[in-house]
Amino acid sequence: MAIKLSANYSKKLGLPQYSSHSFSASVEIELTDISQVQAEVQQLYALLQHAVDQEIQHPGFMPASNGNSPGNGRAQPQHNGNGTHGGYTPQPAADRWNCTEGQRGFILRILNENQIEKQEAEDLSQQLFGTGVKQLNKMQASQLIEDLLVKAGKPATRQTRWRPQPTTSQAA
Amino acid sequence: MNTLAEAPPPEARSEKDIIAGLQEKISASRLSLFLQCRLKFYFRYVLRLPKPKTPSLHLGSAVHTVLKTWNKARWLQQPLSLKAVHQTYLKAWADTTEGPVQWEPGEEEADKTTGWRLCDTYLRESHVPADLKPDAVEVPVEADLTSHGLPRLIGVLDLVQQRQIIDYKTASSTPNPDKAAHSNEIQTSSYSELYRHNTGAIETGVQLHHLVKLKNPKVVITTLPPMRPPQQTRLFKQMEAYLDGLQRQHFVPSPGMQCLSCEFFNECRRWH
Repeated sequence: MAIKLSANYSKKLGLPQYSSHSFSASVEIELTDISQVQAEVQQLYALLQHAVDQEIQHPGFMPASNGNSPGNGRAQPQHNGNGTHGGYTPQPAADRWNCTEGQRGFILRILNENQIEKQEAEDLSQQLFGTGVKQLNKMQASQLIEDLLVKAGKPATRQTRWRPQPTTSQAA
Repeated sequence: MNTLAEAPPPEARSEKDIIAGLQEKISASRLSLFLQCRLKFYFRYVLRLPKPKTPSLHLGSAVHTVLKTWNKARWLQQPLSLKAVHQTYLKAWADTTEGPVQWEPGEEEADKTTGWRLCDTYLRESHVPADLKPDAVEVPVEADLTSHGLPRLIGVLDLVQQRQIIDYKTASSTPNPDKAAHSNEIQTSSYSELYRHNTGAIETGVQLHHLVKLKNPKVVITTLPPMRPPQQTRLFKQMEAYLDGLQRQHFVPSPGMQCLSCEFFNECRRWH
């Protein structure tokens, strides 16, 4: 008999002028074995927390500090300052990368140092993963880095990636 | 000026520094070797004693290169002809950048033929449908396990397809599925951990594709379910033992049947 596991993660953050916004995400999965519960709960918690944290950074419409609505209707990202949560600096969605900062920096450095157009990397990402560079997860970004290095004529092989170097010691 | 991926000239490092580095990063092969024989681990990863590449390792590398190239080509929807695959194999076979191979007289040609027949058999039997798009091909990944009090885990995934992790192996005898699952558990659990950290998803399973070097080559596929919590616990405990052993520097030999094929047999006999 299948066992259903439901998980929900919710977060509420304070905003200026005593306002707040919250977001939650839920997921339901089926398990074949009750012994899987602990690991699945741990995994789902991490997944949902990450997903909610990614999205909740974009508060959308917020009342202006004078209590009036901003005329253009767009979000005015600003620090909360009311101490209800750690201050965060929301990034515009267009500037967010899903991969790590290190991977982002490395991709940009490969492009910069080898005169590879950003569009080339974007095209390669679309061809391989059907999505843009900024949307790549860590594994996909790692794959793209490998391919960009090949394009730059500097492929990292298994052997060179962790090539041992000599030591100062001698065998007994 | 291009500075990317240009390795600095190798510098001699002290044992202390090397051990510190080994405590910061761990791979399935390092962990497996450490648990198999600490002295062998010491010779290979700390002292880094140079040894000629074994014929079976050379054959395995050439086969891996062919499968990587083939998977990459079909991913880019530029499938390779059999002739192109063969040329890739010949080029990989001639590559000795990892150092010379210690061949017995007449052994190289026989192994070269065997390696090609393995590739040919694998591709002809279509164990991986040519039109199925991979998620990753020989991708290096790492996972920061500091929240578990453990080092960074590193590894290379041969192939990921439909969220299934596939690992290629060349073997001289037909593997038993249960024994293969057990003897490769450190590697399969490590790959599951890496996959989860790098994708935020749970793998659908792991497959070991054994290419068996028989007179009539054959492919044996062992399909394993996703890593279960007890397996993750085992892996983490093994990593803890690794860290503890490195800290204590207990690099002692583990004599047994496996020593007959150990490249450090002579050094081991001199150890005291």
